[in-house]
Amino acid sequence: MTDDVMISLENVSKRYRGQKAPAVENVSMTIRRGEIVVLVGPSGCGKTTTMKMINRLIEPSSGRICVDGADVTSLDGTELRRRIGYVIQQGGLFPHMSVATNVGMVPKMLGWSRRRIDERVDELLHLVGLEPGQYRNRLPRQLSGGQQQRVGVARALAADPPVMLMDEPFGATDPLTRDRLQNEFLRLQEKLQKTIVFVTHDFDEAIKMGTRIAVLGERSRIRQFDTPERLLAEPADKTVGQFIGAGAALKQLNLRRVDAVEWNEAELMHRDESPTAVLRRLDESGAWAVLTVDSERRPLRWVGPRDLEPGQTSLDGVGIPVAVVEPRATLQDALDAMLGAGCGASVVVDDDGRYRGVLDIESLMRAIRDMREVERDRDRGMAEAPPRLPRQSDGSRDSASVRTLESR
Amino acid sequence: MTFLQFLESRRDLVLAQTLEHAIIVLMSVALATVVGVGIGVATYRRRRARAIATAIAAAILTIPSFALLGLMIAPLGLGYLPALVALSLYALLPIIRNTVVGLTGIDPALPEAARGIGMSRLRSLVTVELPLAWPVILTGIRVSTQMTVGIAAIAAYVGGPGLGNQIFSGLANLGGVNSLNKALVGTVGVVVLALAIDGCLALLGALTRPGRRARSAASGRRGPLRPARTPAAVSLTATGAHR
Repeated sequence: MTDDVMISLENVSKRYRGQKAPAVENVSMTIRRGEIVVLVGPSGCGKTTTMKMINRLIEPSSGRICVDGADVTSLDGTELRRRIGYVIQQGGLFPHMSVATNVGMVPKMLGWSRRRIDERVDELLHLVGLEPGQYRNRLPRQLSGGQQQRVGVARALAADPPVMLMDEPFGATDPLTRDRLQNEFLRLQEKLQKTIVFVTHDFDEAIKMGTRIAVLGERSRIRQFDTPERLLAEPADKTVGQFIGAGAALKQLNLRRVDAVEWNEAELMHRDESPTAVLRRLDESGAWAVLTVDSERRPLRWVGPRDLEPGQTSLDGVGIPVAVVEPRATLQDALDAMLGAGCGASVVVDDDGRYRGVLDIESLMRAIRDMREVERDRDRGMAEAPPRLPRQSDGSRDSASVRTLESR
Repeated sequence: MTFLQFLESRRDLVLAQTLEHAIIVLMSVALATVVGVGIGVATYRRRRARAIATAIAAAILTIPSFALLGLMIAPLGLGYLPALVALSLYALLPIIRNTVVGLTGIDPALPEAARGIGMSRLRSLVTVELPLAWPVILTGIRVSTQMTVGIAAIAAYVGGPGLGNQIFSGLANLGGVNSLNKALVGTVGVVVLALAIDGCLALLGALTRPGRRARSAASGRRGPLRPARTPAAVSLTATGAHR
């Protein structure tokens, strides 16, 4: 178990001269190899200070911090920081240097050869989705906010550090871009398996990014340090509950994907069948509606008994249009689709839009109940690291560039 | 004798004095740049220290130049040296102040990021902070140069070199033959020299703007960029009045 610990803080405090109350008081936590630990809390709670003590941008007043088994205070601060990736808001890129110079900065300080740096820079730009030929020589101001952030991540990854510290890295981007950057980063992380300390004040971001989340209060006191699932299901106290905000149960839907729950089958009928055949099928199966599909098995509409009038000869335009979701969508997406379509079921389709199954509101409810039960079981003594629930990050679309990095 | 005829007859002397003038100005500004940037770098992180540094430099600037040059005679004698020292002292204020303003005006996230990725203070200063502050520092150097070209004329009073000798000798025999022309040659020479040196420094600024190299490499794709706007130059309120 101890081999597994990458970062440990033991009774760490930080006092600033001339301030009565310590900024950080007596914080202890261990962070395991390969996990993303999110420090989340209101502004001014000391979460950034806590993070910066790990790479000694801020010197702790007392306590011990170990990274990979070594006490950080025994190391030279500058050397230490070259071995820990560091990402800040908007990337903190040097505006007078090209993208390539920015990304190659740490390798250059480590004394790599020019050629090795150039190769590494191109590899990293590929990795974060920026075409090197196009972006290598640009200045940071010639990039969009999202692109700058990607370069910032590339710079932090340059010397392949096992540990990364990220201080509200996606904070300055618009919601859409932020969502994309988060997804990209999670996908990257599945391949890279870095140990990451991530600071944010946005609880939704914490849930999305964190393997475990530390909710911090005043002076960085840890109110709860748990998986997102547990945190949502059972906030430790009222303050944590308040911080999670309304809709904790709803947020839980973000933790599960459609392919992780059971689907039902629908009664499928081709669109060219006659209304009489539909009525007969409804009668035989007892289903509330049949699902009409085209010749490619792509779902079209739900047709119930009331949609059919006597004397009708074709199924064209009859019934309610279906809501479709992909297996990789979150349960929240599925619920959203149901509500949007005004129908208690979403049809699960594959990449080509073909029918695969039906997710209805009952299975959704069942999934939520299951999640709660899993949490309760875990409470009864299964204290060891639980297996993670499937995440919404998408590991299946790994790009060639990701593989390059792995095979290095 | 008209002004032009006078200039023609003394061409070699005037050119030599202009050259001397330029050299002493450039030397003292160079000296002041080394010292001033050094003081700025040493003090910019501490509010108290940088306030003291700029206050002292400002106090020096208020000493009338005649007086300062005169006072230099006692320890340094006549000639080149007292002129050089006095001019360097005068040139300090704009350079110190602009160095401090330039360095403190940088987005604090940048030195922070520099330290965060493992740069030492010195490396951060040399590769990140000073290059970014350079346009502002250069503005200070230009203000200093302008000022020094004028004050250098007075250095002739302590036996210093330069166009001041024309002016002094002209003013000493006003009403005499060519005395007005002499004073005029000195004065016009100083103005022309000031403009010429400033032009050179402006060119230097354009050539050394941060990120210029990367910009030209990328400009083909993105079209021309607006020139990087240098932060508002620190105007020097105390200049001129003391001469």
